[in-house]
Amino acid sequence: MSEELTVIGKPVTRVDAYEKVTGQIVYGYDLTLPNMLYGKALFSPKAHAKIKKIDISKAKALPGVVAVVTGADAPWTHGEAVKDKPFLAHGKVRYIGEPVAAVAAEDEDTAQAAVKLIEVEYEDLPVYIDPEEACKPGCVEIHEDYDGYRKAPFMVRGAAPNINEHFKLRTGDVAKGFAESDLILDEKYYVPIIQHAAMEPHSAHAQWDKESGRLTIWVANDAPFRALHEISEALAMDKEKIRFINPAQGGGFGSKGGLKCEPIAVALAFQTGGRPVRVKFNREETFISTLTRHAATVYCKSGVKKDGTLVAREMTIYWDAGAYAEKSPTVCIRGSLPAPGPYRIPHVKVDGYAVYTNKPVAGSYRGYGIPQGAWAGEQQMDELAIKLGMDPIDIRMKNIFVEGDMSYWGEQLHAVGLKETLIKATEAIEYGKKSPINKPGLKIGKGFACIQKPTRSPTTSNAGVTVNAQGEVTVFAGTVEIGQGCNTILSQVAAEELKVPMDKVIMHQLDTDVIPYDASTTSSRSTYHMGNAVRSASIHAREQIMEAAAPMLEVGVQELALGDGKVFAKDQPQQSLPIGEVVKRKLGINGVVRGEASYTYEIGKDLDLETGHSDHASAFYMYATQAAEVSVDEESGRVRVLRMSAAHDVGKAINPLNCEAQIEGGVVMGIGSAIHEELIIDATGKVRNPSFLDYHLVTSLDCPQLIPIIVECHEPEGPYGAKGLGEPGLAPTPAAIGNAVADAIGIRIYDLPLKPENVFWALQKNKKSAA
Amino acid sequence: MKRTEAFDFYQPATLQEASQLLKDNGPGGRFLAGGTDLVIAMKEKGLLPKYIVDLKRVPGLSGIRENSDGSIAIGALTTLYTIETSALIKKKYPFLAQSAAEVGSIQIRNRATIGGNISNASPSADTSPALVALGVTATIASASGERKIPVEEFFKGPGQSVMNADEILTEITIPKTAANLVGEYIKFSPREMMDLAYVGVAAVYNLAADKKCTGVRIVLGAVAPTPIRAKRAEAVLEGQILSEALAEKAGQTAAEEAKPISDVRSSADYRRAMVGTMTKRALLNAATGPAKSWYDRRDRRY
Ligand SMILES: Cc1cc2nc3c(=O)[nH]c(=O)nc-3n(C[C@H](O)[C@H](O)[C@H](O)COP(=O)(O)OP(=O)(O)OC[C@H]3O[C@@H](n4cnc5c(N)ncnc54)[C@H](O)[C@@H]3O)c2cc1C
Repeated sequence: MSEELTVIGKPVTRVDAYEKVTGQIVYGYDLTLPNMLYGKALFSPKAHAKIKKIDISKAKALPGVVAVVTGADAPWTHGEAVKDKPFLAHGKVRYIGEPVAAVAAEDEDTAQAAVKLIEVEYEDLPVYIDPEEACKPGCVEIHEDYDGYRKAPFMVRGAAPNINEHFKLRTGDVAKGFAESDLILDEKYYVPIIQHAAMEPHSAHAQWDKESGRLTIWVANDAPFRALHEISEALAMDKEKIRFINPAQGGGFGSKGGLKCEPIAVALAFQTGGRPVRVKFNREETFISTLTRHAATVYCKSGVKKDGTLVAREMTIYWDAGAYAEKSPTVCIRGSLPAPGPYRIPHVKVDGYAVYTNKPVAGSYRGYGIPQGAWAGEQQMDELAIKLGMDPIDIRMKNIFVEGDMSYWGEQLHAVGLKETLIKATEAIEYGKKSPINKPGLKIGKGFACIQKPTRSPTTSNAGVTVNAQGEVTVFAGTVEIGQGCNTILSQVAAEELKVPMDKVIMHQLDTDVIPYDASTTSSRSTYHMGNAVRSASIHAREQIMEAAAPMLEVGVQELALGDGKVFAKDQPQQSLPIGEVVKRKLGINGVVRGEASYTYEIGKDLDLETGHSDHASAFYMYATQAAEVSVDEESGRVRVLRMSAAHDVGKAINPLNCEAQIEGGVVMGIGSAIHEELIIDATGKVRNPSFLDYHLVTSLDCPQLIPIIVECHEPEGPYGAKGLGEPGLAPTPAAIGNAVADAIGIRIYDLPLKPENVFWALQKNKKSAA
Repeated sequence: MKRTEAFDFYQPATLQEASQLLKDNGPGGRFLAGGTDLVIAMKEKGLLPKYIVDLKRVPGLSGIRENSDGSIAIGALTTLYTIETSALIKKKYPFLAQSAAEVGSIQIRNRATIGGNISNASPSADTSPALVALGVTATIASASGERKIPVEEFFKGPGQSVMNADEILTEITIPKTAANLVGEYIKFSPREMMDLAYVGVAAVYNLAADKKCTGVRIVLGAVAPTPIRAKRAEAVLEGQILSEALAEKAGQTAAEEAKPISDVRSSADYRRAMVGTMTKRALLNAATGPAKSWYDRRDRRY
């Protein structure tokens, strides 16, 4: 419809604000079920070992214990890209924290006591901590049966041991490009393992009903349909027999897709005579046994002309997958592909390797591989500029993607709002202007970084929208409210298309028995994909209402319009009927009109496995620039972010308030990953800081002045022109801060995090070499 | 979080009774004040007290009082928030108020007591360096009487003090100090708040009009098994005119005196270097008057 938008683009208050602020909402972690048992897992104390013997007899004998299970009772494996992960360890363990056995008991303390009574004998195997070491010739395969696993068709097995995915991008001829370059830089960068640290730790509830053969799982999982598929594939159980119900989710940031507590709960549920089982991880268990973000070692080599024109870029990235593949193959692909940055580069070569190690499992984490590439590429852009005597803004302006550019992976780009984000973000912190702060020993610097992020493609979202005889609208959408605000956005879409007030719209709880299929709540895909589906479903419902209303109002359908919850004749607005009244007259007091829709973004050719090329790698691209002003205390190495701007091209801000909140939340997380966060794992594979005492998230007092900036470069396929936003919020943050730190102290630091001690030693080293 | 094992819980109404309970019930008992150390130890670190004696029903254990001799007494059960906001403490010993304000979060400080912070004897406890620097005396009572001991001699190692199991810390007394006494406490940790001190430094001295410093006390936290005085560093400044160069030298000397360890938070070498930097800053900051706000306090660490 071409009418003016009523709620789209407005800063509507979140629909879930009240129940969350008042604590009324029930999160997965809070859920209790009648007659429920409490599950606890035994986690491996060994990073790589054969299991010689498991003795569960003492645990079984403990009063109050209902079931004890080991890998022998759960002979199933699962995995999205690679089916490599056992429900409970099968014959060997591959990381400290791997679930080996589990107990269900009448209460949690008994379950925990029983777990302690399980005796396991291990025989040590070589432990691989560093991915570059793990793929050296002669290394033992952490997955000796790797070649026999079911794998996704897009995967390429590496030539060396322990590589579960080798992504290749080949464009032009980098050797020729470097030969033509006036300046070449070649550096190694490192990004450590970090964790999502969602406020709500992981949990799952499962119940198996022998009579009906149905398995029900209650879990705050951000991709319940995918999880359902994974369980069904693992158990060889019909999909209709499995039901996922989503209680509210207290954050996820990528950690709550895939299966974490679910397999343990399911393995136990088969042994409890139909009683439901809860498996809840505490914070330490969440740290060691759920998911982390990939550490990455990035080798980055760039060649430029004197005038700053990029000629060639070559990157080799080792993604530390941890013990199981999880989403490593797709992080490797979607993180490595745009790693050379949002620039026109004629000669590009990228090799991304996802490598198994004996560490906690790495997987999706907000940003999906973009922060690691940007940490290297965007710092190197600054280094190139400095070496050429150019302004870092100018070198980017010279090479940056603009509308219609052909990318180095063979896709012509449209809706590219990158330049505008660069200009606005740098202006917001007065980039180029000297800081008025003048304190001896305190260095001030400014820096920025640009990114481009693809979304998972192709994917499908389905939606249903009903309008009842009371004029109330219910949206059936499989998007999970993980805190990102989707329930508000999708309610706005339905309210807009049906012209009803926001408080007439209800989001149906996510239950795979009633909600139509959706791919996942990941990859910033929901506003675009589900937004399109809900929009079309709402239009479908609207059309049915209009058709029904036409004879009632005695005008043609074409003459009708909607507004304020009513259908009316365009030229005689007083001739109107509330939409509920239309439904009632047509279908009775309990009548419901239902609109349905499905949205799939069709990609062109599949990714070419030899060149990494694709004419449509992503439904849309998100562009952003963030700029930081920092101070560095030369005597302590402490980096403080003074202000930070973040300009994001969102296509169209369906809800500017929500966009700003997403940007701010992303930047705060990004600051944590830049300065504080690091999961410290020792040579034996043990996590040394699995608690909030020593794993440092930022608090509000560590946050600078945040300047979120919305840029709207209309995406023609998106609903109302929208793209996505959730993931890029932290992607350029560390690189922007790294550039600001280098600007402040004149020293480039290649390894994250920029915690005081690391910066201090970099300063000391520099002092020594200067002396 | 673990549910704790069953234990007996007593709420005595007198000191006598409280101490007697520990004597009569034998080993394995603990006193409870705010519980911000004890309850965590029980729920997360496997501490299993057989019984707990709550001190909060014993009257007279909290509050701040100025004595006629110019000394100030602080009851052991006084909360850190009370100390942080006390007009008297802020006026006379702003750095002590500041050290209390550095602890955890407002929620923690509303429960945590100064007696608990001392009795717990953590090397990184934030109030200890300032208390040692002020020459504070601890009053310790039991069913069999009372004794007084300088806080400087109170600590014996991580989690260990001179107190016997049946002894209760009742009060600490800040002796009368010179009118020109100044001081500063700097807590150094990567996060601005909600962090443990990687290094804590309290510096206290009498500052004459000509900037001559006497009665210099420099006390280091988190870099030895107990809070320690950096006596050689004190000597560097004692009787001297305060200058940047002297403060720097005192800092370097303090760094030599520190006995830090390497752990997951920090290397020993870095801690040692930070003792140097923060001691210098504490000495210089002390002369400039107290921090005016949280932001001021934050910026003074740099
Ligand atoms: C989230 C969090 C953050 C924290 N941050 C900091 C920080 O930044 N800096 C810091 O220094 N501390 C910190 N702490 C530790 C703690 O809050 C302080 O040490 C606090 O002062 C302890 O006081 P309490 O009254 O709670 O002691 P309790 O926990 O009640 O007692 C602690 C110990 O002292 C004994 N005890 C208590 N009172 C007496 C008494 N009068 N006589 C004899 N024995 C006694 C108890 O038996 C127990 O062994 C933090 C704690 C938490 C949970």
